[in-house]
Amino acid sequence: MIFLAYSELIKNFNRIRTYLRSFYVYGFQHRSEFTQKSARSYDNERRRVESWLGDYMSFGQDKEGRRVFLSVDSRAVPENPLYRAFRTKSFTDTDITLHFHLMDILKADDGFSINEIMDELTDRLSEFEKDDLPDESTVRNKLKEYVSLGLVEKKKRGRETVYIHSEDNVDLSVWDAATAFYSEASPLGVIGSFIQDRLPERFTYFRFKHHYILNALDSEILYELFEAIGEQRLITFTAHKQKIHVLPLKIYIGTQTGRQYLLGMSPGSGRFSFYRVDLIDSIKTGKIYETDDDMKNQLNDFCSHLWGVTGNNSMHLEHIEMTIYAGPEENFIPGRLMREKRCGTVEQIDETHWRFTADVYNAIEMLPWLRTFIGRITDLRCTDKLVISRFFDDLDKCTGDGPYACPALDEGKYTGDGCLC
Amino acid sequence: MLFHEIYGSYFRTVSLILKEALSGNLTGRELNRLVQEQAFGESFMTIPDGLKGEKWRLMHKDLSVPFSEEPSMPVTLLEKRWLKSLLLDERIQLFQPDMTGLEDIRPLFTPDMVVYYDRYTDGDDYQDTEYIEHFRTILQALREKRNLFVSFETGHNSKPGIVVTPYYLEYSEKDNRFRLIAAGKRRRWAINLSRIRECAFAYYDQPMKMKEAVTDYVTFELEDRRNALERVLLHFSHLEKETKRMDDKKYRVTLKYDRQDETEMVIRILSFGPVIRVTEPERFASLIKERIERQKELFATV
Repeated sequence: MIFLAYSELIKNFNRIRTYLRSFYVYGFQHRSEFTQKSARSYDNERRRVESWLGDYMSFGQDKEGRRVFLSVDSRAVPENPLYRAFRTKSFTDTDITLHFHLMDILKADDGFSINEIMDELTDRLSEFEKDDLPDESTVRNKLKEYVSLGLVEKKKRGRETVYIHSEDNVDLSVWDAATAFYSEASPLGVIGSFIQDRLPERFTYFRFKHHYILNALDSEILYELFEAIGEQRLITFTAHKQKIHVLPLKIYIGTQTGRQYLLGMSPGSGRFSFYRVDLIDSIKTGKIYETDDDMKNQLNDFCSHLWGVTGNNSMHLEHIEMTIYAGPEENFIPGRLMREKRCGTVEQIDETHWRFTADVYNAIEMLPWLRTFIGRITDLRCTDKLVISRFFDDLDKCTGDGPYACPALDEGKYTGDGCLC
Repeated sequence: MLFHEIYGSYFRTVSLILKEALSGNLTGRELNRLVQEQAFGESFMTIPDGLKGEKWRLMHKDLSVPFSEEPSMPVTLLEKRWLKSLLLDERIQLFQPDMTGLEDIRPLFTPDMVVYYDRYTDGDDYQDTEYIEHFRTILQALREKRNLFVSFETGHNSKPGIVVTPYYLEYSEKDNRFRLIAAGKRRRWAINLSRIRECAFAYYDQPMKMKEAVTDYVTFELEDRRNALERVLLHFSHLEKETKRMDDKKYRVTLKYDRQDETEMVIRILSFGPVIRVTEPERFASLIKERIERQKELFATV
């Protein structure tokens, strides 16, 4: 068996995703509970995370042993510390040697052919004791990679192909405040943090409330999804060990849940469904899929009846009504209904009562929001009786002294296992 | 393409070290300091050896370098495409963007690809010229560390005028709003930008010291039913917290929060229903109980 020497850098980001997530979200797990890999793997990954994010690591001790967790008040920091994990890609000695020498060599105005580049590299590298040269195919591959990254341009000089350092005509200094803001407030903000690395000074005067920094860990997946959405390509991926084949349509981002979802359409059935981005793995891009106006209309109609990110268009619409009390001096209560509703309507039915009405695909996912009006609700009705039953059943459990008769249904107390938050 | 060594900490640190070497100011100690400041906790085991040990053939043992110009790397296509996406965002006018160099670039994503499905709908109006002007004045004051005179609408429609030292612009993704966080003579201010009616540099230029926000904590027991553990911990993940396991299904969670946000915290905890039971402090638990009791009375009278 060959044991590779430990390095704080990694080859594959996916490997560290689960550990970072566990350290940040849960923080109560001990070494023995990380069972997906060996204890040695756990030790290495923990050591890496400590090396990258030592300032944010905390430790706890209880009878089962030592716990490691990441504790960050995301409102107090101008920049997502998890972005550091994207600066840890491993590389070979040849990669770093070629990077700095090629970027320097190709600054010449006319560019260099591959032969000229090889000659120049030979001159430069022969100055060192270790004088083995990278072969031409390695240099060609590196140049090809850098052309696709936009670092190098490939041009024709007569019949010869030459390579030249790409023109740098974006003045990043005028983008400092914008990149500081959007690095945290835009999808794929990690790219903005790379841009900030290039600035002589960072703009640090933004702070972010209700800021879910964990989504950053899914940036590679999100990047692939945006590419496929933009090109209207079918994709295949695994989620929960299942193989999924869909046309990706939109990304739904929760500003209150810390989750991101892909809305996709199954090409065979035309069914719209949601998939959690953090569970998506191994995306493979397929053919372009032509969509028509009919499909776009169906999508718009489906989206207009969504409360959250569950349900699909093969379900029935459910009708829901909630009436709440708000005193004459309590305008902020109907104000909450107006700004927090994601679909449906709000009407004032008398001086102190307001009614919210909606038709949604999955009314049960509204329960958490309905509960935020506890203490104000005078009537609650829904064509999905389970919504009502669960609401009252949960209320019983909260107080422990129910049951309460449900005013909208005559069936009394629901007796099932009724909590869905 | 996104997880690539060209964006990595090692490449960036090496670039800074090479710049320093070209200026003739590099010493072994300075090299180690740059590694310690710019790279990771254990990078000192690799980078100095890669450079001074000539492994990477970028520096000689005497710290001289085979380059005549400072290392530079053009803005990558990925970075340009991300910047191009920002130009399509409704908030970009706040920043006076410059499109130069991005004319023929395809955006990485467009606004119609993204839905913030649970964002409140009464966010700030980023097209309002007065709002844009106030935002830019605040940005300039932050950069130049200048005091501001601001007058703003309160809940009672009054418009107090105050002089403040601005500290931050705080953005809430959920509310889609900016607030100015500033220090006044006697107190800390958090002013919604949409309520500001006047904003100008102040004559009084003595910086005022910011008072710390008053924080509080709440502890609750969490029962892990229907994936509640993950949902609750993710929902509150942006707060400083500690979680301890009590048994197979029960956890104790302590959250630290800004006392100004107490009502919001009550509502958020309430939204999870009976999987959460607040245990401490008693004052917070009674806020939850009050609402449930009030609800009980409302249903009793129907």
